[in-house]
Amino acid sequence: MQTLVSAGALDKGSADIKTQSETQVPTELSSWLVRVADARDKLAFTHLFQFFAPKIKRFGIKQLGNEAQAHELVQETMSNVWRKAHLYDGDKGAATTWVYTVMRNAAFDMLRRLKAKAEMNLGDDIWPLEQAQAQSEEDSLHFADHLMEKQMMAYVDSLPEAQRAVVKGVYYQELSQEQLAQQFGVPIGTIKSRLRLALAKLKQQMGDQQHD
Amino acid sequence: MINHHPTSDVLAQFVAGNLPASVSVVVASHVELCSECNRAVQALTEQAAIDAFGESIKEQGLRDEPQAAGLEDFSGLDYFDFLNQFGDSDDYADLDDCIEAITAQERDDTNQLPQTVTEIAVGGERIPLPTALKSIALKEWQGMGKLSRSRLALDDGDLRMSLLHIDKGGSVPCHTHKGFEITLLLQGSFTDEMGVYRKGDFVWLDGQHTHQPVTEEGCVCLTVSSDAIHFTQGMSQLLNPIGRFIY
Repeated sequence: MQTLVSAGALDKGSADIKTQSETQVPTELSSWLVRVADARDKLAFTHLFQFFAPKIKRFGIKQLGNEAQAHELVQETMSNVWRKAHLYDGDKGAATTWVYTVMRNAAFDMLRRLKAKAEMNLGDDIWPLEQAQAQSEEDSLHFADHLMEKQMMAYVDSLPEAQRAVVKGVYYQELSQEQLAQQFGVPIGTIKSRLRLALAKLKQQMGDQQHD
Repeated sequence: MINHHPTSDVLAQFVAGNLPASVSVVVASHVELCSECNRAVQALTEQAAIDAFGESIKEQGLRDEPQAAGLEDFSGLDYFDFLNQFGDSDDYADLDDCIEAITAQERDDTNQLPQTVTEIAVGGERIPLPTALKSIALKEWQGMGKLSRSRLALDDGDLRMSLLHIDKGGSVPCHTHKGFEITLLLQGSFTDEMGVYRKGDFVWLDGQHTHQPVTEEGCVCLTVSSDAIHFTQGMSQLLNPIGRFIY
């Protein structure tokens, strides 16, 4: 891979001064990352590069001690962003947190290569990129439920209006059948039969799904 | 219930990537088992990201700012500084080449494939190994009495990392540590003068501590040590030449 070469002398003073512009982050970062992951979108990647490269370089100078290494870190980090963007999950955290993880991991492995002549990359094992976002065990369980819930909602939404209202009333708003009968102004027997029909239909749909 | 954790300073250094590889591996292994430290690491990582890249507009409550202007306003100046460091205009082309070279690469799907063993069998029980160990090879198990250990093939200066198994009713004679010793309980429990340690507990001891770990039910630990341990009492001092065996 090609190496970035810097012609100008580094202005070390600028490395520590933070301007106003750096304390704010454009809101598009996350969508750019997703576009890189989903569509291999070069323009989105260029935006990411423009935002992150100078900041990664500053971090690299601090961690690795010289400009050439810092440039290598920029390349290494941005390469990994391009190659591993599909591991980023926008629902679980900020794009900056994920890119920080990619960058810190690359810097860690570079430092090991420099100091210990150790070739084995460990950064992504120690700080997994797919877990870079808040992911305690409870969260991942919750996430599985969340997916299932999303699918359930799709089934529920496909029910006829009257049945859908009863299912949502019972299972999402946790209303009693009496309360629903009152709310819709129908006998409780009607609520019961709508619920029975709806559940039979849902069962059938989920059964179909399993045969796929 | 995990009672012994890395200090917040250790967690912060871990997040910054400043700890040696073997120490990072053992901290990561604890974090994988401990939801409390997992949350702490997550918060520290978010903060480190803010320190490195700035805070998102949304978090600052400026969501209504026009977004089209965002790129110019927030990164334009910074980016310009970056380009300036390249010197003359030829380097703009270098930058484009650089982006071209990167985007010519395929997406990487290898990340999640384990490369070595992911669990070990001890006394008929299968014990899952921490994710952080997945690329590090285990060397052959060596035993002495109720102790057995397998060194992990990781180059990390003077630091040594091992898996240590102490069988039911086993103990390590009273010893002190010349350097430091980190022990992470992966399975079972042990007791020493300072308390009881169970699965997930992270214990960092240095030369100030003398201890004699005993295990009733047996245990498997991941250990990192900076130096040989030093036996302090009676006949066991004869073991000092082989203290290196254990850690």
